[in-house]
Amino acid sequence: MQLTVFNGSPRGRKSNSKIILDQFLSGFEATPGNSFELHYLNRLKETEHFVQAYAEAETVLIAHPLYTDSMPAIVKAFIEELESLSGKEGNPPLGLIIQSGFVAAIHSRYVERYWEKFSRRLGSRYLGTIIKGGCEPLHRSEKQFQKVLDGFYELGKDFGETGQFNEKMVKKLAEPEKISTLMRLIVQLVWKVSGNGYWDDWLKENEAYEKSFAQPYVDTK
Amino acid sequence: MKITILNGNPNASNETFDKYLKQLSTDLVSNGHDVDVLGLRNMDISYCIGCFNCWVKTPGICNTDDEGRDVCRAYINSDFVLWASPVIMGFYSALLKKVTDKFVCLVHPYGEFVEGEVHHLPRYKHYPQGGMLLEKGPDTDVDDLQIISDIHSRTMLNFKSELAFTKLTHDPVEEVVDAINRV
Repeated sequence: MQLTVFNGSPRGRKSNSKIILDQFLSGFEATPGNSFELHYLNRLKETEHFVQAYAEAETVLIAHPLYTDSMPAIVKAFIEELESLSGKEGNPPLGLIIQSGFVAAIHSRYVERYWEKFSRRLGSRYLGTIIKGGCEPLHRSEKQFQKVLDGFYELGKDFGETGQFNEKMVKKLAEPEKISTLMRLIVQLVWKVSGNGYWDDWLKENEAYEKSFAQPYVDTK
Repeated sequence: MKITILNGNPNASNETFDKYLKQLSTDLVSNGHDVDVLGLRNMDISYCIGCFNCWVKTPGICNTDDEGRDVCRAYINSDFVLWASPVIMGFYSALLKKVTDKFVCLVHPYGEFVEGEVHHLPRYKHYPQGGMLLEKGPDTDVDDLQIISDIHSRTMLNFKSELAFTKLTHDPVEEVVDAINRV
């Protein structure tokens, strides 16, 4: 199988989407004969080339982070360039990977509906959407997420063999769908006792911790 | 009320859309509102690159010094903000999404529980109510409109507010004015 992959993260090669894709694609390549080409949508000058790659693809995979509850603007801009493919015959099957900072998968379910509709608009076979939350810290501490990375490898491997997204694996990887009451109590306790370590560390590195609640845009007039 | 209208029409040749907003703005002013229409396509605004410097380095301000900052300032100092855009490929324009992505600096990186879900802590005391005004494209159907509304309701929830309405430019201007007056 030949896969055309679009990394829709504005962070490009330094993105969590890349870390995830690396795993998924090495699993995918474990099947002899499978290969992929990878495009970074943050290279805004290459849009024309991206559209052509999409149109000529055998199968398409788009990965992007959740930005204000949907796709980043650079991905929407790419979508607008694909308007010429709308309603055309023979558009490639499409699968999605959406990762988010929010831990619960529910935050990404809304844009999943958008992509399912997008596939219908293009008349493409919809392979499904792989959702994984809690991924923001990946780029700062990859090692702590071995289980998640293994999950993406296994999914990619299965996809490479079957050409389908394995529903059970997708569902398992997405967990938790929502935050349970028990989990909420634990999270609230952690916040109370040890603060927001992830953000605090980053703020302190930048000597910005003291001003983290700054309100620079309040009109004083 | 202080109202900001985000004109997300990317296409200068779509004059009908801009005219609708002009009429809406005039009518809102005669209803006693203070209205600012931001023509996003003529503003110098870069894409959010996900650096999070607006959370961890210069809290509250985007690192990139462009007119995105002016839009953020207008937003947070409004009582009501209207997202206005033609529907393109089933969603509001990339132009309008570009500024929506920038609004992330208006909340704090920490989380809090809202309705059993984690959302960001507010940075400001006051957040504007939101509304959506869409122009249907030739291929826009009810599913598209529902998906946009549902996604935008989530966005409003993340910005400590709610989506008051979704209206179409098919609707008479008075209806949109009424909907805003009821906010």
